[in-house]
Amino acid sequence: MPAVSPRPSPAPPPAVPRPVSGALKVALLGNPNTDKTTLFHRLCGMMAKTANFPGTTAAARLGKCQVGGPSPLTLDVVDLPGIYRLDLDLPECRVCRGFLLGDGGAAPPDAVVVVVDATNLSRNLVLVGEVLALGLPTVVALNMVDLAQRRGFTVDTRRLAANLGCPVVSLVARRGDGVDELKETLRTLGDGAPAGPPSDLPLEDWADRVVADSLGGQHAVGTPVDTVTERLDQAFTHPVLGVLVFGGIMAGLFWILFVLAAVPMDLIEATFEHLGSWATAIVPEGAVRGLLVDGIIGGIAGTLVFLPQICLLFFLVSLLEDTGYLARAAFVMDRILCRFGLPGHAFVPLLSSHACALPGILSTRLIPDRNDRLTTILVAPLMSCSARLPVYVLLTSVLFAGKPLLAGLAFAGCYLLGATAAMATAFVTRRTLLKGPSRPMVLELPSYKMPSLRNALMTAGDQGLSFLRTAGTVIMAICVVMWWLSAYPRTEAPAEAVALRQQADALAASPESAEPLRQQADLLEARNAQAQSFAGRIGHAIQPVFAPLGYDWQLTVGVLTSFLAREVFVSTMSVLVGDGDDDVENEGVVAKIRSAQRDDGRPVLTTATAASLLVFFVLAMQCLPTLVLTRRESGSWRWAGLQLGVMTSLAYAGAFVTFQGLRLLGVA
Amino acid sequence: MDAQIVPLTSLPMGASARLHAAELSREDCALLRALGLTDQCRLRICKTGEPCIVQVRTARIGLAASVAHKIFVLPEAEA
Repeated sequence: MPAVSPRPSPAPPPAVPRPVSGALKVALLGNPNTDKTTLFHRLCGMMAKTANFPGTTAAARLGKCQVGGPSPLTLDVVDLPGIYRLDLDLPECRVCRGFLLGDGGAAPPDAVVVVVDATNLSRNLVLVGEVLALGLPTVVALNMVDLAQRRGFTVDTRRLAANLGCPVVSLVARRGDGVDELKETLRTLGDGAPAGPPSDLPLEDWADRVVADSLGGQHAVGTPVDTVTERLDQAFTHPVLGVLVFGGIMAGLFWILFVLAAVPMDLIEATFEHLGSWATAIVPEGAVRGLLVDGIIGGIAGTLVFLPQICLLFFLVSLLEDTGYLARAAFVMDRILCRFGLPGHAFVPLLSSHACALPGILSTRLIPDRNDRLTTILVAPLMSCSARLPVYVLLTSVLFAGKPLLAGLAFAGCYLLGATAAMATAFVTRRTLLKGPSRPMVLELPSYKMPSLRNALMTAGDQGLSFLRTAGTVIMAICVVMWWLSAYPRTEAPAEAVALRQQADALAASPESAEPLRQQADLLEARNAQAQSFAGRIGHAIQPVFAPLGYDWQLTVGVLTSFLAREVFVSTMSVLVGDGDDDVENEGVVAKIRSAQRDDGRPVLTTATAASLLVFFVLAMQCLPTLVLTRRESGSWRWAGLQLGVMTSLAYAGAFVTFQGLRLLGVA
Repeated sequence: MDAQIVPLTSLPMGASARLHAAELSREDCALLRALGLTDQCRLRICKTGEPCIVQVRTARIGLAASVAHKIFVLPEAEA
């Protein structure tokens, strides 16, 4: 039976000389739950961006901080992932090690700020010892000194600094106390290598000795029993009560996400609609107007509309994380999700994906293990998002006209099918592509704290900007390409539309009679343009592929154009077979789409094709922004391609089985 | 094995013990050590069951029951 004995520390690499430059490159390192990111926000404010380390899913925040005074200095601050030790064989530890040692040709940092939790000094100092052993100029930021004092610890910082051989600055990052002193210490920090801990003593023992000598006579081993924390932990991790509390909190989060985000989302849509109308009014008809209104303005709107949900989700999750509750919730959900190869941390991303897969995928950053995170990213879009709702409403209304109970059950069935497919895909993925044991559920349970509103706002803003800078630009570019495919080549108006316009012009004396004729002409032109566009031609060309699912060319075009975003299916169908109105709650629109006919006179949507389409849309990717974000978060197009392949295959197979099965059962 | 050495899961809430060993992989042992669960460290059981919560020095560590079952400790007499 192996003991949990410490392994010998690796031999320290040679001290890295400090490069001379105008700015100081500072690495921010620390254990999880040390409020390291709060300190980063205090130092850099909103002048920060989030970036993945090349080829990895590990993210770091990069920011700039100006230090004033007689000789102003710029600090380029890199907030590294939270780790317990540098020598652990975990992806985030490898990333930190590589950064500190300047792997891959990059210069090592000029200084390292190790953020330590003053209430848990002994364990935090082990990481400090590892950094000192690297020979990098180091400052210890002793954070949460207010909490430590409340618990009866008084750290003698001078003595601690003498024991460590590097400067120590006391901080309360949440209040901003000590931040200026930290900046000043960094300005005056020399480039000499610290001595480091003795190599013949295990780091844990060294840390214990340093703590014993620096705590003003009080030893930080064991604290009085915190009965409030004990009771809260009992409740939050209880098999029944814990699940109920978790369900209540998540329902509240989900509700806020749906209800509150809808307000700015509607505002963004309305603003861009007005902007489009304004541009239509002032720009002459033609290619430039089409590009401006439908391509660029439509593309920007299509990107910005996701922003409220992303920011709101990160704001709420940051608040929850700050309270210390999320670590407990991870244990509650781990019991259920581990059966499918997913960790408890995956619940928030999966739940968020019901609102939109984009914030869901972004929030997988909470998951520490790479394989767990990739699996969650892969299956998150299978959860039914709000963009699927218009399609579900349309197709369940077509399938169960006048039977609201059955329509409701079918609606719920769609959500269940998506969740089941996600769990099954995760199960298979963890046993094939991402084999290997999951990281055991071992977590530090942080102290319960009042959440920091400032921190949550900073995190929400940071994540929103990060989305716009990276995924947003790609999404907009692809929106323009998809618009071009749907709008070109330009075609002549069909003879029927021309005749209708002539009739309308002849009724100049009676505008109320002329208007319906013009609307009919507009619809015929739009329908013809759609059919003759590149997207329409592609739809015609690949219709045989979708024939086994029961789709004619019109449904195929609908499926193809909805690859941009699922809800586009409804507007495409309303143009192709309806009257251009895409309000799915309008009974007349549903009736028109239901009674639409194919070129050979058969109905476009039979019971079998509608059911097949419903299954297709539950399981298919059909969301370009999600694909772009998966590439960004996974660090490779390989995973995005795999996600598209798996979901499209599942959707095709599911729709095929549904259509052919219903046909065999005699359902038209 | 010393007869007094028992799995962590066999201790009641509130009991104290010293960590003896763990029947876990090398990587998992390293993770426990990084969290502060070092050889012979003193720990207190804050919660039994799933998860098992222990206090080591000032840190509270949550352990899945499957992990806690493979951690062996030497119980300490009540003070």
